[in-house]
Formats: sequence, structure tokens, C-alpha cells
Amino acid sequence: MSLLASATDVLMPRLSDSMEEGTIVRWLVDDGATVVAGQEIVEIETDKATMVHEAEAAGVLVVVAQEGDTVALGEPIARLAPIGGSNGAAPASGARTPASPVARRIARERGVDLAAVTGSGRGGRITRADVEAAVAPPAPEPVAPPAPPAASAAAPPAAATAAPSQAARAPKGATELFELSRMQKTIARRMAEAKATVPEFTLSRTVAMDAAVTLRTMVGDAPLPSYNDMVVRACGLALRAVPRANGTYRDERFELHERVNVGIAVAADDALLVPTIFDADIRSLGSIARTARRLAARCRDGVVTAAELAGGTFAVSNLGMLGVDRFTAVINPPHAAILAVGALRSQAVVRDGELAVGQTMELTLTCDHRILYGAQAAELLGLIAGHLESPASLLL
Amino acid sequence: MPDLEFRTAIHDALEAELAADEDVVFFGEDVALPGGVFAVTPGLAERFGAERVFDTPISELALSGAAFGSAVCGLRPVVEIMFGDFLALAMDSLVNQSAKYWFLSNEQASVPLVIRSAVGGRGRFGAIHSQMPITWFLNVPGLKIVCPATPADAKLLLRAAIRDDNPVLFLEHKRLYSIKGPAPAAGEQARIGEARVVRAGSDLTIVTAMRGVHDALDAAETLAGSGVDAEVIDLRTLRPWDRATVLESVRRTNRVLVVEEGPETGGWAGEILAAIAHEALDDLDDAWRLTTPDVPIPYSPPLEDAHYPGPEQIVASVLERLAVA
Repeated sequence: MSLLASATDVLMPRLSDSMEEGTIVRWLVDDGATVVAGQEIVEIETDKATMVHEAEAAGVLVVVAQEGDTVALGEPIARLAPIGGSNGAAPASGARTPASPVARRIARERGVDLAAVTGSGRGGRITRADVEAAVAPPAPEPVAPPAPPAASAAAPPAAATAAPSQAARAPKGATELFELSRMQKTIARRMAEAKATVPEFTLSRTVAMDAAVTLRTMVGDAPLPSYNDMVVRACGLALRAVPRANGTYRDERFELHERVNVGIAVAADDALLVPTIFDADIRSLGSIARTARRLAARCRDGVVTAAELAGGTFAVSNLGMLGVDRFTAVINPPHAAILAVGALRSQAVVRDGELAVGQTMELTLTCDHRILYGAQAAELLGLIAGHLESPASLLL
Repeated sequence: MPDLEFRTAIHDALEAELAADEDVVFFGEDVALPGGVFAVTPGLAERFGAERVFDTPISELALSGAAFGSAVCGLRPVVEIMFGDFLALAMDSLVNQSAKYWFLSNEQASVPLVIRSAVGGRGRFGAIHSQMPITWFLNVPGLKIVCPATPADAKLLLRAAIRDDNPVLFLEHKRLYSIKGPAPAAGEQARIGEARVVRAGSDLTIVTAMRGVHDALDAAETLAGSGVDAEVIDLRTLRPWDRATVLESVRRTNRVLVVEEGPETGGWAGEILAAIAHEALDDLDDAWRLTTPDVPIPYSPPLEDAHYPGPEQIVASVLERLAVA
């Protein structure tokens, strides 16, 4: 059989100087068992004593001399066949090649046959490193072009580590890698999820802010609310009148929320946080302003809590202070909409048929079309604009 | 900046919270006038008076009940249970009353109490003064369990625990009281429920807490000499434990060893491995735990020392498991 043809003989060992033959007393492993180098396999009785003999290499043991047989020095008592066998049969331990879960996954993903991989883990287990070594090209050639070898899987990025000069000649120069923080990963994931799953549409409206500008000069010594605070208050009032905009689409149902909680986007230390201003429809403008200041400070100091970041039903994002005129924000799932606010500008406007200078601000509302339709979205935007254009309503 | 001793960190955190909020009170056995059997709380009774810092009779159930009652009536009590082993006497008050009151009362009152307790072995205190009672409380919804390993974390997390409106079990390893470490930086915060990667590595993640963090760091230094680069995570909070940090690490290193001071059966190491197997099986090359055996803690010094998985045992286990010569 081809199995035996490639086996090596285990010969009766010289266990003492005067020994000429030995008797097999007892096999310590079963016929067909896999042994490792150094493992004790048989007890042999010599003219002096009974001694134990070890396997000199790893392999599958095939017993030749039985217990009780007397064999001359140098004659075969057993054979060691290679593990795995040439007919592809697995060792006696079972039909599955021992490989770790991650090794199996990577082998599946890269199309590697586990039977062809040598395991370096405990007990011959195939590990991730073993599979990846089987996929990567054997040796990086310093002057090789960046094209991958024709054979198996995808070209691993290891090809780029070949020589420093190759990296310097690469079209984009050297690449510096940054691991994302947990927050950055979350932002990436949620933004992609929003764009992939939410059917968005946007509406824009230019708001005449003259009355709002004037109102802010009339508060006396009291702390001044920002334009964004006024927008948040206006949203709170408007969302009361358009409940679908304060809701969530989920599994073919609208979930309409009782409280109106407006999240405000805060940029903090290369991160984006959206703390919540709860009950923006009930709270006064002053209370909203104080809360927004406090939450923004907590965000920048890195002490904002999970509770402060949760519970929003709507969100407002403002890039006006950075000079942006208008932009389209990405919906924060599971909200129905998000309002993007631009900078306050002095613009040429038409009033009563005459050119005049007015203070304007652009609002852009991004909506989830599964819960908000064009007319309601327009109604919401109109109400927000209406409150800002008659800003005394924000004080009620 | 001078180093901070662990017991001083606890003392200073408690003192700061007593000073900041007059609803905070502190009581326990031998904590006020004697200053605590581990000398953690001297001076507080003198500074804040007997109305706010006082000694109690020897009844853990009574003092836990008093903590629960005063907490739902508006105080923020910090109580000390002298040895974690005695928490068994306080369990009904802690588990059935404090941990569940917010839920059972339909959120009428929260229970902002902190129970501090000295835990852990290798102190020659014997089987019933050396245990690690984390797993007695690990599955109680409504309870937080905080286990700092460094003086800076002890200070920041005790303050966070006292400010938390929920019941928090704050466990102090008695063999860490004398260790020194950097004081927290100005403005530094630590949040309950967040772990920290205290040593970055690529071959293996070691997850542990309290005394185990120091043992794992020592082991990692030795393992580096054998070419094994270990990442060490200090859990800092055991309930809720920081799944995200642990899973992110295991997905990178593909191997995880959890080192727990506590009996293997029913230990929190099993909980962590179960969660990892549940969520990240396809990222695993290996996953195992190193714990103390399922026997009471010995009193004889050489037997007690052999009971615990110290740095040498961690190194040997890793090398054997990774089949490194």
C-alpha cells in the first residue's frame, strides 16, 4: 500500500552494550495512533532489564512486532507513516483538519484549502497566521512591479513592504495610517447606514432674520441666546404642529414621540457629538440657551454622558459660524429629519417691490421620505421660518 | 507630580465628595474614629463631624439597610463593609432592596449609594477574609461593580461612583492599598463601565482586573522576551463590563486569555469568554482563562501563594498554549 511505501522503519534499538535481541513486552500506544517525537511507544525486555523506547520522529505508528515477540537487534519492530497519509485520509483522530475558527474563516474568504496548510498551533492546529502565510507570496522581490502573482487570492498589502524605495516612488507617496477611535468608527458606520437605508429628500428656505436680529438687542443685561438657540426653540414649536416630523419610521409603522427633544450637533476634538435638548417645545428660549452652552462645554471637556447624548427626536446642525451659507446634513437614524443652518448674511432682498438690505439665513431640511412627505416637510420648514421671522413667538 | 498611594486616593476621593455635597455621608464598622482597619479613612470624622461620618454596630445587614433607607430618603450614603466576605450578610438589602428599588417603585426614587469593601487574597487573612465576591453580584440587574487597579483610577472612579445615582459596589483589593502610582492628571475623567488598554500588543489579549492587571503587565514584559506581544486590558468595571473595548482588541489579536482571581466555576472569566465566543467566534484563534482553583483559599503561606495565578503562571500558560518553545 502506498501508505507503507513512504513510512520509515522503527528498528530494535541497542539498549545495552551486550544486547543482541529484545522482547516486546508492551506497546504503550495503539496501532495506528499518531505519535510525536520523544513520545514513549514501547517497553522492551533486554538481557539486563526492561526499558522504554521513544519514537525518534512524529508519525502514525504501524506495529510490526507483537507483544511477546523476540526480535534481533536492528530488525524492524514497527513503522512510522507520515501524518495525513498519501491517500488523503485524516489521522485516526477524525475527519476534520484541526483549525481555529478565525483560520477557517480566512481560508473560506481567501479560497485556501486547509488540507494544504501546515498547522503551527498546539497539536498541529492551523492558526490564522498559518493560513495567511499560505496566501501571501513566498518572498518579496525588491524590484518587482506592484502587480500581484497570477495564482490564488487577492494581492495582500504585504507586497508594498518590499523595499523603501518602492514606497517612495508610489503615486501618493508614503501613506500614514491612523486607527479610528471608537467614536469615529461609530460615526462612519452610522453615516453610511443613514445614507444606505434612508430615502432622503431635502428642502431649503431662506429666512428673513431682521426681526430676530432686532430681538436680540432687546434682552438688556440678560445672557444673549444665539441664533442657533432660537432655531432650536423654533423647531421645538414647529415639531409640535407636525407630529410626523417628530417621529420614526420603523418596520412599516410610524412611531410618534410625545416629547420634542432636539439634538444639537457639537464639534469636539475631531469628533461629532449630538447632545439632546429635551422638551424644546416647552422650555423657554433662555433655558434652551443655558442648556446648549452647558452641553457644548461638557462635550468639549469630554464629560458628556450617554444619557445626555440619547433621546433625541430631531436634530439641528449649524455651520454658520464657519462661514458656510448652506449645506445638507445627514439624517441621524432613527430621526425623521435634520435641519442644517447656514450663516447669517446681509443680502440684497426685495421688499415691497424695492431693493433693500436684509439679514438672511438659509435653512435646509433633510427628511426621511418614508415618514415625511413633501407637503408636511414644507409645512414644517414654513413653521420654523415663521417663528424665526416673528421671533416674539419664541418667547411665549 | 508626586506619586499617589492607593489608600490615600480612596481617602481623598471620599473627602472631596463629603466636602462637595452635604448629602454625602459615610459610615461602617471602625471607619470613623479608628480611621478604618486598613488605615484608609482617618481624619474624616474629625473634619466632617459625627452627623456625617460615624461608626456602626457590628451588623452588615443593619448598616446596609440604613444605607438603603437613607438613600431613598435623599442622602448619598457611602458605607464600608470591612471585608468583602461579609457582603454575604448584606445581600438581601443590597440585592433585593437597593438594586431593585428604582424598578419596583416605578422610578419614584433612585438609590444613590456606594458600598466600599476590601477584597482579595495573598494577605494571610484566610479563607473567609480573602475572597473576591464579584461573581456573587455579577448577575444582579440594577447594580454596578467597580474594581480599580491603580491609585488614579481608584480616586476618579470612587468620585464617579458617589456621584452615580445608582447603587455601586466599589471593591478595593487589600493588597493594592500600599501601591503607589501617578495621581490623576488635571481634568482627567474615568467613567464607570469603561475599560482601558494598559499595554498595547498584537499577539494576544489578556483581560483582567485589580491585582491581575499588575501580574499581567509583569507577565507581558517576560513574554516580550519570548517574542509574544501581549495586549493587556484593565476592565476597571466588572458590571457593566466594556464589551466594545474587549471585542475590538480580540478581533485584532485573535487570542484572549482572561485572568481572574476567583474560583473557576461560575467566575466572571467565563462570562467574558462566553460573550466573546458568542459575538466573535470567527475572529478567534484561541480563548481560555486562568483562575484560582475550586477550593477555599488556604491559610498556610506557601499554599496561599500557590493558589493564585501570578506572573510566572501567566507566562507559562501563554507559552504552552501558543506552542512557543
